[in-house]
Amino acid sequence: MTTPGISILEGRYMVTMDLFPQQSKEFNQIYPFYQYLREGRLTTTKCKDCSAEPFPPRVMCPECYSTNMEWVDWPTTATVVEVTEEVVGVPLGFGRAPLIHALIDLEGKKNFFVRIINCQAGELKAGDKVKLAVFDVDPVPQDMGREVVEIPRVFYAFEPVK
Amino acid sequence: MERNVCVIAGGMSKWGVREGSQRDFFQEAAKACYNDNPQLNPKDIDGLLVASAYTERTSYQTHLAPLVAEYAGIKPKNICARVELLCASGSSAIILGYSMIKSGQADIVMIAGGEKLYTPQKWEVFYSELASVDHDWDGAQGLGLPPPVFAMVAKQHMKQFGTKKEHLARISVKNRRNSATNPQAQFQKPVTMEEVMGAKMIVEPLTLFDCCPITDGAAAVVLAVEEKAKTMTDKPLVYIRGTAQASVNNMSANMPTWTTWEALKIAAAQAYRKSKIEAKDVDVAMTHDCFTISEIIEMEDLGFCKKGEGGSFVADGQNDLGGRVPTNTDGGLLGCGHPFGGTGIRQGIEVMKQLRGDATQQVPGAKIGLTHNLSGFIAAHTVLIYGREAA
Repeated sequence: MTTPGISILEGRYMVTMDLFPQQSKEFNQIYPFYQYLREGRLTTTKCKDCSAEPFPPRVMCPECYSTNMEWVDWPTTATVVEVTEEVVGVPLGFGRAPLIHALIDLEGKKNFFVRIINCQAGELKAGDKVKLAVFDVDPVPQDMGREVVEIPRVFYAFEPVK
Repeated sequence: MERNVCVIAGGMSKWGVREGSQRDFFQEAAKACYNDNPQLNPKDIDGLLVASAYTERTSYQTHLAPLVAEYAGIKPKNICARVELLCASGSSAIILGYSMIKSGQADIVMIAGGEKLYTPQKWEVFYSELASVDHDWDGAQGLGLPPPVFAMVAKQHMKQFGTKKEHLARISVKNRRNSATNPQAQFQKPVTMEEVMGAKMIVEPLTLFDCCPITDGAAAVVLAVEEKAKTMTDKPLVYIRGTAQASVNNMSANMPTWTTWEALKIAAAQAYRKSKIEAKDVDVAMTHDCFTISEIIEMEDLGFCKKGEGGSFVADGQNDLGGRVPTNTDGGLLGCGHPFGGTGIRQGIEVMKQLRGDATQQVPGAKIGLTHNLSGFIAAHTVLIYGREAA
């Protein structure tokens, strides 16, 4: 990899230019989320004291402030509440336009924004079912003592249920 | 004794796709601010708050406030720091400057805000915007500074309340007509209803003129304690009457409702209460028209019209010159552009001029002015009330 205009950065990783989160335990205490994702599971943390299930997952419960949290599975299918297609301004790393965005209802758990992949423009509409889709993203070259270890990474989007 | 706070000077650089650097624009804004009030001696400024959101990303510069102080030719002795709340950075800094003066921690504070957003390669702007929402969650789903979020809001508002694309278009036409009278604005040419309705798609249902642009530029105001303000200007005094800022969520999963903005209702209620006014008392408003649908919802949630009636309120000209509450008389974000840290300050300058009586498009007899910013994933709302008299 070369970085035009900044020759000294050739081959260097820059965390501030990374699209995706850190997923190693050295850099993220909720790293199990990504391990579970690798198994096709969408999870969050549940508070053992007050039963709240905040999303995104937490180290501390935002309701009762307990740090007594456990991992729980959430549904991996959802219903589309609204969908729109971004034609102009799609950020680098998210493929060719259109980038399909949907607000989904995760079987009553939460409504949130997701990227829709494996879907043709104009195909998806409100009320349609979608399911979790996990894919590999670039690994992070992480310094471990004198070694550089490649940390594999995954991320998720949703795709139409066909 | 109660310390009242006045705005005694304000000015901005030319906004747009600019040649120059962030520090160039801060100097231009400071100069314009000094020119606005020749009685102000910049050496008397005892505090500086600088509002800038992308300074680290697009100018590779942290610790910005002392740099701006050096370039603006001032030597603050009570505060010299940067404030960041993305699109509301400028208003946040005004609130903090006001609070410092109110509490006696400073007497004369400059608030300067701005950005150099255009980079030598344009892709980086959109890429950097992924940092503006919850980067690890919404950002990694491809949401930047997000037309898609507001497209989703618009779709739901249309479905729920019958708001039409024509209502959105009215906002573009009004604000671009207003910006054409403002030489500092990014857009100097008005647009017609036909041009807006026929414009290219960005994110359905939002087309080109529904979206504010990416902008370089800066703006600055000077606040002063009333006793000193009286000796430092011949123009009518403009007071900050009350302020509020509220946040109830950040990530999309925690947005309570999409078409009613709870944090805006909270911030508005707080600001009205502290200012001892009601929504009906507002004579002129600068609201955050980052997208046309935003201004419609803001009319509702600021209490200028009933919920769901924002579209017809706008279509009836109720937030245009001569209407119930003329809004974005200087062109707003849609016309002036939006260098994040500069916007709240630009709004403050226009309200200051309206209340002094020397605005380009003067609202006759304006006594109470309001500014509003939303920021991030509609995640925080900031409301300031200005008046010809203290609260």
